[in-house]
Amino acid sequence: MDAAPRATTRWIEALALWVSIPLFLGAWQIASTAGLVNELLFPPPTKVAVALWHELMNGTLLLDLGMSVTRVVIGFASGAAVAIMVGLLTGRYQVISNLLAPIFQLLRPIPPIAFVPIVILWFGLSEWGKWFLVFWGVFFTVWVATHLGVQRADPALIRAARSLGTPDRLLIRDVILPSALPTIFVGLRTAVSISFYTLVAAELAGAFAGLAYRIDLAHQNMQTGQMLGGLVMLGIVSAAADRGFAALSRRFVWWI
Amino acid sequence: MGQLLTIRAPGETPPAHKAARGQITIDGLVVAFGDKDARRTAVDQISLDVAAGEFLCVLGPSGCGKSTLLNTVAGFLAPRAGKVAIDGIAVRGPGADRGMVFQQPTLFPWKTVLGNIAYGPRVAGRGRTEAYRIAHDMMAMVGLSAFADYYPQSLSGGMQQRVGIARALANSPNVLLMDEPFGSLDAQTRTMMQEALLGIWEELHTTVLFVTHDIEEAIFLADRVVIMSAAPGRIIDEIHVTLPRPRDADVVYAPEFVRLKRHCAGLIRMESLRAFQQQNVAARDA
Repeated sequence: MDAAPRATTRWIEALALWVSIPLFLGAWQIASTAGLVNELLFPPPTKVAVALWHELMNGTLLLDLGMSVTRVVIGFASGAAVAIMVGLLTGRYQVISNLLAPIFQLLRPIPPIAFVPIVILWFGLSEWGKWFLVFWGVFFTVWVATHLGVQRADPALIRAARSLGTPDRLLIRDVILPSALPTIFVGLRTAVSISFYTLVAAELAGAFAGLAYRIDLAHQNMQTGQMLGGLVMLGIVSAAADRGFAALSRRFVWWI
Repeated sequence: MGQLLTIRAPGETPPAHKAARGQITIDGLVVAFGDKDARRTAVDQISLDVAAGEFLCVLGPSGCGKSTLLNTVAGFLAPRAGKVAIDGIAVRGPGADRGMVFQQPTLFPWKTVLGNIAYGPRVAGRGRTEAYRIAHDMMAMVGLSAFADYYPQSLSGGMQQRVGIARALANSPNVLLMDEPFGSLDAQTRTMMQEALLGIWEELHTTVLFVTHDIEEAIFLADRVVIMSAAPGRIIDEIHVTLPRPRDADVVYAPEFVRLKRHCAGLIRMESLRAFQQQNVAARDA
């Protein structure tokens, strides 16, 4: 290939990016309206858009969106904050690691969704149950990332800091946390998608509002347009969260 | 550049006999690794006094324990026997009174050049403005003023190591410990760095304990060179370098330089051979 692609090549590459989603929507529209599939079960994007528009107008869309996003934000923030603190301790102090790591390694592989029934018994259909499930899903991923990040902190940097006079109490803040930050952010970004998985499980199990709850309700009423609309919204929200998080990582881990 | 010596509040009386501080006393030092069965003595009965303001090089074949000696003075390793003291005060752990320059620059990648150099003064409790002023002085001294806002990753190896030296000196230590700091640089950069280091030292007259396996480097820099044996490390010889200062790169052609170099090379060669044979014996026995 040429070192510098020709102008037309670049133009076609740019075009491909812009037509990507319209192409997908177009193919979906044709498949659905041309009778290739049952339109009732697989409505075209136009009908999905109409269904979403109705929900926007009667206020349920924003309510659902608000409820779901709030659950993710509360569960994620608390799970991540606790996981980072615990991870700094287990990564730094062998005795704490020996005490906690076996427990965590036992609980970590259990899919958070498996906790839904017992969580309903514990918390009923309250918000606490949803927060707990998201917290649970986020905690282990972020804990593992923090723990590894701390353990991989360059010993040479720690020695350098100590020879510059860093007291032990500042070592975590000044050297170990920044060293582990790139790894922590990888964990946090993975946890963003996990928090949406667990959100869906929590809402399907019983809620009074929320994007996944609306999908479940529409299912019972055979409103396929609303069901697909709910899926589209979930896709948009979690993709936006992921992108936002990538941008955030670049701000917080500016030196990589 | 005389003000570099006086990093303190105006009006404060200068510490009495600044030049008389930074004296290193090493007495009967033994450093060993491992327990009874797998015990390996790295430093064996070393006694050494470094005068305040002296530039001393420790020269030895690789694996002779010279870095171990330095790390013990730095406070990273505890002696099995004997003692290390700075100005009569026993070393108990790492501290800002002994600036350390490592083989690798080990700069904080999340801090700029300015941030890296100002870190020591900040941790010592100085205000941001004062720490930055000290850092700017240090950057001027190592010739990196234009790179204050650069991150270490974007600098060359030689520049990174200069930041490392500036960072260690920003704490105005009485002793500067250097562990083969130019070992990973290319030959041209290394020569330039050696000259730059001598320039800085002639300004500050900080005591320097410099570890190297490079004979020319040791003679070029030092007032005194001590030569260590292959493991376990003992001092087998000591030479006084009387070449006039300031020295420039041409000093390596002076007859006195060549004589000292030949003397050191003979000793180092013998020790390297001995180490090689020891390894062979160990390999055969294993």
